[in-house]
Amino acid sequence: MSPFFIGLGLILAGGVAASRSGALFRLLVPSGCIIGSLPAFRVLAGGTPREVIVSGHVPGGPWVLGIDALSAWFLLIVFGVGGAVTLYGVSYLGHGHHSARAARSHLLLSLLLVSIALVVTAAAAVPFLMAWELMAIWGYLLIMYESEQPDVRQAGLLYLIVTHTATLMLFALFALWGAYARDLSFTALAAAGPKLPAEGAAVLTLALLGFGLKAGIIPLHFWLPEAHAAAPSHVSAVFSGVMIKTGIYGLLRVLLLLGGAPAWWGWTVLSLGVVSGVLGVLWALTQHDLKRLLAYHSVENIGIILLGIGAGTLGMTYRYPAVALLGFAGAALHTLNHALFKSLLFLGAGAVVDATGTRDIERLGGLARRMPVTWAAFLVGSVAIVGLPPLNGFVSEWVTYQALLAGATLDGPIRLQALAVAGLAVVGALALACFAKVCGIVFLGQPRTPEAWSAEEAKRGMLLPLVLLALACAFIGLAPSAAVGASVAIAARVAGVGAGAMPRHLIAAAQLTGWTSAGLVLLLALVALGRSRRRARRQPRQPTWRCGYTYGEPRMQYTASSFAAPLIAAYQPIAGVRVERNALAFRSHPIDLVLDGGVRPLWHGLRWTAERLRPIQQGRLALYLLYVVATVILLLLLSCAGGAG
Amino acid sequence: MNWMPLVSLALVLLLAPLLPGVATRTRALLTGRRGAPVQQLYSDLAKLWRKGVVYSTTTTWIFRLAPVAATVTAILAACLLPLDGREAVVSFSGDLIAFASLLALARFTLVLAGLDTGSSFEGMGASREVTFASFAEPALFLCFIALVRATGSLSLTGMLGGPLSDAWPAAAPSLLMVAAALFAVLLAENSRVPVDDPATHLELTMVHEVIVLDHSGPDLALILYGSAVKLALFGALVVGVLLPRAHLPAAASLAVLAAGLLAVAALVGVVESVMARLRLDRVPQFLVAASALAFFAVVLLLW
Repeated sequence: MSPFFIGLGLILAGGVAASRSGALFRLLVPSGCIIGSLPAFRVLAGGTPREVIVSGHVPGGPWVLGIDALSAWFLLIVFGVGGAVTLYGVSYLGHGHHSARAARSHLLLSLLLVSIALVVTAAAAVPFLMAWELMAIWGYLLIMYESEQPDVRQAGLLYLIVTHTATLMLFALFALWGAYARDLSFTALAAAGPKLPAEGAAVLTLALLGFGLKAGIIPLHFWLPEAHAAAPSHVSAVFSGVMIKTGIYGLLRVLLLLGGAPAWWGWTVLSLGVVSGVLGVLWALTQHDLKRLLAYHSVENIGIILLGIGAGTLGMTYRYPAVALLGFAGAALHTLNHALFKSLLFLGAGAVVDATGTRDIERLGGLARRMPVTWAAFLVGSVAIVGLPPLNGFVSEWVTYQALLAGATLDGPIRLQALAVAGLAVVGALALACFAKVCGIVFLGQPRTPEAWSAEEAKRGMLLPLVLLALACAFIGLAPSAAVGASVAIAARVAGVGAGAMPRHLIAAAQLTGWTSAGLVLLLALVALGRSRRRARRQPRQPTWRCGYTYGEPRMQYTASSFAAPLIAAYQPIAGVRVERNALAFRSHPIDLVLDGGVRPLWHGLRWTAERLRPIQQGRLALYLLYVVATVILLLLLSCAGGAG
Repeated sequence: MNWMPLVSLALVLLLAPLLPGVATRTRALLTGRRGAPVQQLYSDLAKLWRKGVVYSTTTTWIFRLAPVAATVTAILAACLLPLDGREAVVSFSGDLIAFASLLALARFTLVLAGLDTGSSFEGMGASREVTFASFAEPALFLCFIALVRATGSLSLTGMLGGPLSDAWPAAAPSLLMVAAALFAVLLAENSRVPVDDPATHLELTMVHEVIVLDHSGPDLALILYGSAVKLALFGALVVGVLLPRAHLPAAASLAVLAAGLLAVAALVGVVESVMARLRLDRVPQFLVAASALAFFAVVLLLW
């Protein structure tokens, strides 16, 4: 474990050094991430899990930190994305006159990374909750980077309320659970699992609420798009790629400690997965703000991960170890993949925002020529998130699809889980539509505004992490057997079965998907090369065909609103969009059905009630004494009435 | 080494450009015209291959990649289908997902190529294409669920190879519904009436045709060939469900496949001549109906 602590120390040192020099921060934090992830690699390669007991005589039992396969997997995600993001952050915030503020943000980022690393390695409830709370607070301070803007302050407040609600749920969870256990270490909690009443129904419900709030499961997602849009782009990348995954980690850890869950919980998670997936991508489609759009896609991908967890849980409940392994392996692999391609997309979006000064998709266009490297990286991220070969998103969706489809080959209630495949297919097709919209409107065609005309390629310090993340996506897509094998090992740990229960052909099949993808890339390259050699002789270039008219303006191009319009019309009741249509313009304004339709009205209702109650509180002693007397008389009357009866 | 998968793959790749010709010819004959010869697409491809290319000043490399991707993904997807009725060139657990994803990749690049031109027409076509696809995809996957349930296998070879003929006696109604739903998906995915009309001449009413409006020469030839192969693939799926051929001798199996593909193409022509195109906002309803059909097939099999 000592490399882990050295790594944490380096990350903290880098954060402190950021106020002196950005270069030191850029050097220390990524190297800390590399050193810190060494024990995780060792555990994943089959080494024995390690534990460190920090202190023996405190309330709640010993504070234990440990790295098992599950922790190691999430640790790799934290350190992998964290390292890439810190490389990016220095260049992203580096310019301008806010250097003190940037240094503060760097320090907070390194603190955030350390606390997330502690969340996923804590092996007792007390350090887990402490790290969890610290993570929440650093997150809040990071969102408030541009705190002079009212919408940033509002997003921060919403985040703070939601994250504390989540923490409260987790306090309740561990208090309930701990009542049956010797102390609050995870081993003691695991031993107490069978003693919980109703198969742990209360614990599982609280876990779903508390961790679901952090993960952004619909309908608990409403804080997420606000927070992701308000934070600086590289911080959004950490939020979306890493921080919300702690919710997934929590769910998996609770499942591991309980050793399974009743069927109703599995079906609930599976249904929430379908709902989050479909609504998340549909609401993403209606967005015109690049970062909010990506944030809604995180909700969608959490839905896909939940489909895997749901299938895995059902596989455990109904005793089909192969389904359980496939489900959890799909969830684990998609968690890693989403961390990679979503942070890639957020960093790419950050490069666009930095170059043009706007997040509004409708004001962009034609950036592919102006920012070729950013475009290539963003395209890799897009193909990956849509789940297409030859990239990593395809591999994890392939595993998840198989987990769900495997249900159809079995008998008993588990066969119904195959119906979720249709939901996953809808999600995939809508994600394709959404990323066609983003790539097409932002990067292709002609620039729609002067800002987009004058955009320039991002600085080298920002491009390097983009390229690294894109290469990681391609590597898992082309050589998936290592990643699939590791995720199966994690699934075996969560499901509590030997990895031998896995159908042996899965790894071989994964290799074949890799070969298919490699064949695809090779053929594409060969044919494209052949075409370009042939083309060398003569290549006239003409303006795009405009049906015989010779004029044409960039503003006449199709817009993001109009691109999404037919889909939104088809899904109108649940699409959550207000359409403004007149003779001159067509605009669609996205609204969040949960936040604007549920949470805000509820909040306003509470406030309204509170204001109606205000006249009671006058602040005069005589009045309060009167209340006391009135209450006493009322109670006396009540007791008399009770005694008489 | 069993050469049959490769031989049947070659046969399908050679035969594919015939299918749109058969469909068009059937339509022409049924509507009282003579129509173009069935081998028209071969001549078109040969002509386009010899021609030069004009690129729009707005376009980038993605515009040139899309035609290549259209053909390459279609051929790779063909490798995953058991075309000889027994086994595919490449087969692994879950290859049906790879099959659907490869076709989706072709759609993604073509749509991006359309948006790359900056033309409103092509943006419009791109938008419609992804809309219709989002309704066709669940229908396709529901068909796959039904086939997985009927055969207990997660690969296309396992599904359409041997076990399907054993499943027919017990699951005939479901499999018929699956075939019908697959045919509806075929019409949508290949831009045929009632979803799209390949013969339309007005850009405003086009869907698939308008996305490739700016492609020319060999690029256009690659796109046309890719679409022809795609039609053949969906045709082979329909034929594979309706006529499991694992018990036939190899040559007979290939003959059945060829005849089946021609019959499917002719059926497409019949549909085109007896049906009008649906209004754009009705197309999702058509595809939801196909999904519902497949859903009923799944429900029948699950109970």
